[in-house]
Amino acid sequence: MPDAKPSGADFERLLKALHGSAVEFIVVGGAAATALGSSRLTLDLDVVYSRTTANLTALARALGPLSPYLRGAPPGLPFHWDEATLRRGLNFTLTTSLGDLDLLGEITGGGNYEALLPHSFELTLFGIPCRCLGLDKLIQVKRAAGRPKDLEAVAELEAIREERHKLGR
Amino acid sequence: MGSTDIPPVDGPPPFEPDPVIEAYKQGVDRSLVRENLRRTPEQRLQALAALQRFAEELRRAGRQAVGR
Repeated sequence: MPDAKPSGADFERLLKALHGSAVEFIVVGGAAATALGSSRLTLDLDVVYSRTTANLTALARALGPLSPYLRGAPPGLPFHWDEATLRRGLNFTLTTSLGDLDLLGEITGGGNYEALLPHSFELTLFGIPCRCLGLDKLIQVKRAAGRPKDLEAVAELEAIREERHKLGR
Repeated sequence: MGSTDIPPVDGPPPFEPDPVIEAYKQGVDRSLVRENLRRTPEQRLQALAALQRFAEELRRAGRQAVGR
């Protein structure tokens, strides 16, 4: 387990770690909302990752040095971060030395990486190309999640959509 | 694609209005939304990181104030 928990995910270094190992992923959740214009506080990075064998290998390599561990789990569990663990699971809520990271094999209302890819776009963050879920799909998946905490977030995202429509962008 | 090149909003929303969300929308600070839309995505994430640090500092100060 990481020794000291950071105050929030270090988005730049987490994204660079994933990109540096050529992991295929799409930024979703609160960080995607931030990139699209949200001003709400989020503390973790949520990504949907491709489940191909090559990508599981890349993901295991990318996060290995960051001491990934199951968030909220008691210390000392026999949790080994490797490709086999990734293959056996699907969605992982992790704590790492760079902050909290949710690795999602699929999301409610959106499906897996391949299903989300056509609804994502590429943008450059911290000098690296990243894929981010588009605004309309992000609204749809947050609506589908149906969590009470998402209601305000969805309202803000829909307001962002309306303001961008007014601005013609 | 550059950092400011988020695809434009195109046409009507592909979902029906939800009365609960419409009610929540009344509380959205539109001036804050418009201000944030002037930033690039990277600037927005940097602002989020600064907000995270501030939130942590507030938590630390709160714990100190109550003697924990």
